[in-house]
Amino acid sequence: MKPDAEFEDTDLLRSIEESGVGFRVASSLLMLVILGAWVIFSRQILQGLGVTGLNQPVAWGFYIVNFVFFIGISHAGTLISAILRLSQAEWRRPITRMAEVITVVVLAIGGFHPVLDLGRPERMLNIFTAGRLQSPLLWDVSSITAYFMASTVYLYIPMIPDIALLRDRGTRPRWLYTFLAWGWQGTPRQHAVLERAVSILMVLVIPIAVSVHTVISYIFAMTLQPGWHSTIFGPYFVVGAIFSGIAALLMVMIVLRRIFHLERYLKQIHFDYLSRLLLIMSLLWFYFTFSEYLTAFFGSEPSEMRVFFYKVTGPYAPFFWGMVICNFVIPVIILSFRRTRTIPGIFIASILVVIGMWLERLNIVVPSLANPRLELATGYYIPSLVEWAMFAGGIATFILGFVVFARFFPLISVWEIQEGRELSVAETSERLESYLPDPAPASSSTVEGGG
Amino acid sequence: MASRGVPRWIFYLQVASMLWMWVFVLGISGWIIHLLGLSRRLHDVPSASVGISIVAIPVFLMGAAILTYVFVGLQRGRKAEGEHER
Repeated sequence: MKPDAEFEDTDLLRSIEESGVGFRVASSLLMLVILGAWVIFSRQILQGLGVTGLNQPVAWGFYIVNFVFFIGISHAGTLISAILRLSQAEWRRPITRMAEVITVVVLAIGGFHPVLDLGRPERMLNIFTAGRLQSPLLWDVSSITAYFMASTVYLYIPMIPDIALLRDRGTRPRWLYTFLAWGWQGTPRQHAVLERAVSILMVLVIPIAVSVHTVISYIFAMTLQPGWHSTIFGPYFVVGAIFSGIAALLMVMIVLRRIFHLERYLKQIHFDYLSRLLLIMSLLWFYFTFSEYLTAFFGSEPSEMRVFFYKVTGPYAPFFWGMVICNFVIPVIILSFRRTRTIPGIFIASILVVIGMWLERLNIVVPSLANPRLELATGYYIPSLVEWAMFAGGIATFILGFVVFARFFPLISVWEIQEGRELSVAETSERLESYLPDPAPASSSTVEGGG
Repeated sequence: MASRGVPRWIFYLQVASMLWMWVFVLGISGWIIHLLGLSRRLHDVPSASVGISIVAIPVFLMGAAILTYVFVGLQRGRKAEGEHER
């Protein structure tokens, strides 16, 4: 690590070393929103699920929609970060940390939502004694816990050199940085240990991340409910998750770049590359959606058709077409043209994708339950104040997670940026040369020349 | 294991956090094994339970093993007393 006089990246530590009124105001406001949400939620604790909009047959609503939505967004981080690291994409350096933070924060929020959905939350403890591993719900518990653990480790280990930097600069609370730095001194042996651990983790987290959202899709696909019992639900959910994850990452990058003046680090090229990925995912999402709905429509199975028309022309038509416009029509138009693929354009496209993916989760959960296979009257669902409050609380917790993280840790990996400056230019040139064809052997050129 | 340059109480806290993580991981593994036994006793599709356990338990153990490897590796990789950065 360079001595202080030569340290070029003070911008990256500003949020930690110069945090003041802004941090206190933002965190107080957010905590107020969260507290308000819990106060409103206390009605549900006291009176049960009757205070929500849930009913028979629509027994799942906002809580499960938000659960799937938040877990989907978690794919922003670890998965994208691991893929970029594994493919040695050099432009990843200012992006990976933010992506990994998103994963950890939203996993904690999303993973908690099924508990909110329980009329008697204390009964959750029964899974410790009498859980049934044949239930896809318990697969979720295992896979989300495993993903949360792997993501937290994957966030923490590459942060150790930066934590040690803060410790060495005397940043407070010093005991915290000393504790978390684990004795890092930047010796070659320590670097080797860190790199080996990150290499193992980045291979490990990719299948875990994919399995998590596949398993979440199984909650729906393993039932015989119309609109859910689909063989492509696993990959469809994974594609949607990566799609919403990239959009959330772009949103976070644009906002934090503005707030913390990170323009030197997060350049147009980073947004350009990520927005191209977003465009590809938008097309892929449309392909999966088209396949899913065409198959249901072509089969003309009566109970499937009830769900289909409920979404396409019925009460959920505004949400269905809103989803198509937000996830496909507008993002594809914005991101396809260089003139509109600017940072404000990408920001608009990302917000729309996040909204569109939330609508997609709503379209999956509610219409199928409102139109069950049994001969029942069509159900309806209107979320109550309690559900809206917890939704707002979830979003506030997400923002608070970032505010608190930015107060204590660098949002961009300082040591990886320095490593990029010092080593990667030569390394990348060498790699590039290795891609190019070898020079023609002297003998063959003589033969060609002779011919 | 040495704790050069780090206050002793922080070093003990670090070791305690490692141990706590192993308690957590072994607890989850024990819980999954308990559910596996339960499904066998009740003839409640033990095959599904075996499948989940085979995937889940190694993931938790591997996560804990990597953290332990990093912790021990960083302690061993520290400079000896009086050694300067080259």
